[in-house]
Amino acid sequence: MLLEAKNVSKAFGDFRAVAGADLAVDEGEIIGLIGPNGAGKSTFFNCLAGETMPTTGAISFAGKDVTFAPSEARARLGIGRTFQVPTTFEDMSVLHNVMVGAFLRHPHRDDARERALRVVELTGLRAEQPARSLGTPGRKRLEIARVLATEPRLLLLDESLAGLTPAELREAIALVRRIHAMGITIVIVEHIMEVIMTLTKRVLVFNQGRVIASGTPEQVVREEAVIEAYLGRAHRRPAGQ
Amino acid sequence: MVIVQVIAGGLLLGAIYALFSSGLTLIWGMMNFINFAHGEFVMLGMYVAFLAVVWLHGGPPVFALAAALALFVLGIGIYASLIKHVIRGPMLSQILSTFGLALLLRYTAFLIFSANFVTLPPNALSGTINVGGVFLPLAQLVAGAVAIALTLALHFLLTRTTVGSTLLAVAEDRAAAMLMGIRPDRMQALAWGLSAGAAGIAGALLATAYPWSPSVGETFGLIAFVVVALGGFGSVIGSLYAGLIIGLIQAVSAFWLGAIYKDIVVYGLFVALLWFRPQGLMGKS
Amino acid sequence: MTLSPRLGICLLAAVLLAYPLMLPSAFYRDIGVTFLLAAISASAWNIVGGYAGQVSVGHSMFFGLGAYLPLLFYNLWGWPPVAGIPAGMALSVALALVIGLPTFRLTGHYFSMATIAVAELIHIFAGTWDFVGAAIGLQGPATARNLWDLTFRSELPYYYIFLAVLALVLVTTALVERRRFGFYLRAIKASERAAKSLGVPVRQTKMRALALSAAFTSVAGSLYVIKTGFIDPDSGFGILVSVQMVIVAALGGAGTLFGPLVGALILIPLQTATNSWFGGGGTGLTYILYGGIIVLIARFEPGGLFDLWHRLSPRLRKRAHAA
Repeated sequence: MLLEAKNVSKAFGDFRAVAGADLAVDEGEIIGLIGPNGAGKSTFFNCLAGETMPTTGAISFAGKDVTFAPSEARARLGIGRTFQVPTTFEDMSVLHNVMVGAFLRHPHRDDARERALRVVELTGLRAEQPARSLGTPGRKRLEIARVLATEPRLLLLDESLAGLTPAELREAIALVRRIHAMGITIVIVEHIMEVIMTLTKRVLVFNQGRVIASGTPEQVVREEAVIEAYLGRAHRRPAGQ
Repeated sequence: MVIVQVIAGGLLLGAIYALFSSGLTLIWGMMNFINFAHGEFVMLGMYVAFLAVVWLHGGPPVFALAAALALFVLGIGIYASLIKHVIRGPMLSQILSTFGLALLLRYTAFLIFSANFVTLPPNALSGTINVGGVFLPLAQLVAGAVAIALTLALHFLLTRTTVGSTLLAVAEDRAAAMLMGIRPDRMQALAWGLSAGAAGIAGALLATAYPWSPSVGETFGLIAFVVVALGGFGSVIGSLYAGLIIGLIQAVSAFWLGAIYKDIVVYGLFVALLWFRPQGLMGKS
Repeated sequence: MTLSPRLGICLLAAVLLAYPLMLPSAFYRDIGVTFLLAAISASAWNIVGGYAGQVSVGHSMFFGLGAYLPLLFYNLWGWPPVAGIPAGMALSVALALVIGLPTFRLTGHYFSMATIAVAELIHIFAGTWDFVGAAIGLQGPATARNLWDLTFRSELPYYYIFLAVLALVLVTTALVERRRFGFYLRAIKASERAAKSLGVPVRQTKMRALALSAAFTSVAGSLYVIKTGFIDPDSGFGILVSVQMVIVAALGGAGTLFGPLVGALILIPLQTATNSWFGGGGTGLTYILYGGIIVLIARFEPGGLFDLWHRLSPRLRKRAHAA
């Protein structure tokens, strides 16, 4: 069990964004978190990443309690994340962006540079390109490269594949597969069904702060509760089908 | 008996602190932006009042209104020409923009008005009044009372009116507000107008009761920081409480420790707040 | 480093070394010394304000501490002022901790506000505390008792001492730039949130930058007082001291190695000129000018002249090729 979240809740004043969510991820898995907007999956994700602290519940990573650990500490333990809106270091080159990540495990500049170059190559970016000249797909890829350089055991991808053309999407999916093949466990928050169906082996569906369904992607899309959550009551299938 | 006078004087001054600080807290709460030139807005309000008396021969309502209007317009102008552009940029330019503005305004005032302290010519508010054995300058009393009223008015404007909730909506979630058809740009400009206007009218009120020079901007700016830090950023009501408390602390420190210490105590309080309770009185831990 | 920048640096070093010998009058040498001091202070500020993006507008507190301690040691115990330099640095670093520890866990604005408030607090204190001379300030040795007093009649020794310190500050900054510390500073400036997610120890890094900056600024203050032999609350802790550091760095290019140098190169001669034109009213107009320049930089060119040059030079080169 690499990552475990038990009964995690997050309340903002009176509003309960997450109300008792559980998650168990084994090393090497690739899990999807889906659900309609406002379902609480992003808030839950942020609790996992250390950006938000849960109101109740516990999160543990590789046996260590990280419920209230700040994101710097989580990164050091091996949890990496990307951001929904890319936050690349605009004034720096692609290589330098990635080096910031690489410095976590390689404090010496030359080692970090080497490591970063390899990651840049792996992700198909150009080292000397200024980050600000990248388009959105490039920035998303740079974010992934940068966090990869921190050598995470667990990678949390926050809608990193949104807003891409079909061709770009295929490339991105291939990249995520390559990362997974390196042995990195992945939890991905996504709206795009193609990503969920092709990449993930197990999916958790959020609605109104709770996990309402979990299973393989094929199982989950058939479940009534899930269909209802996305499309509303009128679209429930008649019983027996 | 003297102590009661000191306390009263402190609270009355504190009320005016609350008024101009509420302008600062509005901008901070709404745009997460700190106006380092806010003290200078107060100072300019004082001089506008002065000029209104000299040129228009107006009484307190006239020059107070003049100050409010002039600064309201200035606030919007500064938003449109400067703030709107730097708010999206790096922190350095955000901070430098109003910091540089403060210098510009302060030393231009020094150039035009000289460093001498001035007071308003005698007007309807001159003279002292006896309130149950305590002698207070009438101007201080009126200024303080008006300041409290205006601060409360601002608070109600923000919390009870449509305009107010629109402003707060933009503060909460700019993108959502845009989807609702609200123009954040207009609202932010309005907020700047209100903020500067509050500072301006506070300046006019101060001018009725206290002497000043262009140097007061720096002090008021810092006092506004302390008040906002104590009262919690974004909270006008918090500014009211905090302003009164700061005014009181200042007056009592000056009385007990000597005039030099009145600012030292306030700035020292600020540093202490940063260490122990940055979210202020009204903030959550 | 490739050939061209190396050549440029050698050229710069040569010019700086030869300057006081090529223009030997006291007037030019004085400008040179003032330029060096401004470059040192601004480069010191640059570490935390330019690279890390933590904008201090009260750096005079470190400068003043570095200026007062040497003369305090001299007035109390007759020690040569240089003996006060380490004490100034130590106190400055301590003050940096006092300010940084609480504010670096809050948003950037708190730090900036704290720097103004604390600088002003110390300014007022220095003006009322008799121990440090109150409003009158402190004096240094009028004539040299021995070599350690560093009281020279000519500007020349000061010029080379200051030049050596400037070199030290620049070399340190260059080393920082190359290493992990420098990358982390720039990451923090660009996006604290992203930096944290990559394991950057944000608070610690900011703290180290501030401490380093404070120490160097303190040295600048000590150099100032060793040259002028006099300090008072305004020349030590006044707002103009803070403002000048910021504007010199920002004009040239905050966050670049040579930005502060470029800024000083432009601003110091400009300041000398305006001071002599406007005479007595000089300082007031200087502030207006500074205020205006700062606003313009913030509004139009936050990257300073260096950034402007980078944007324009490819176009200029294209024109040159086309011609």
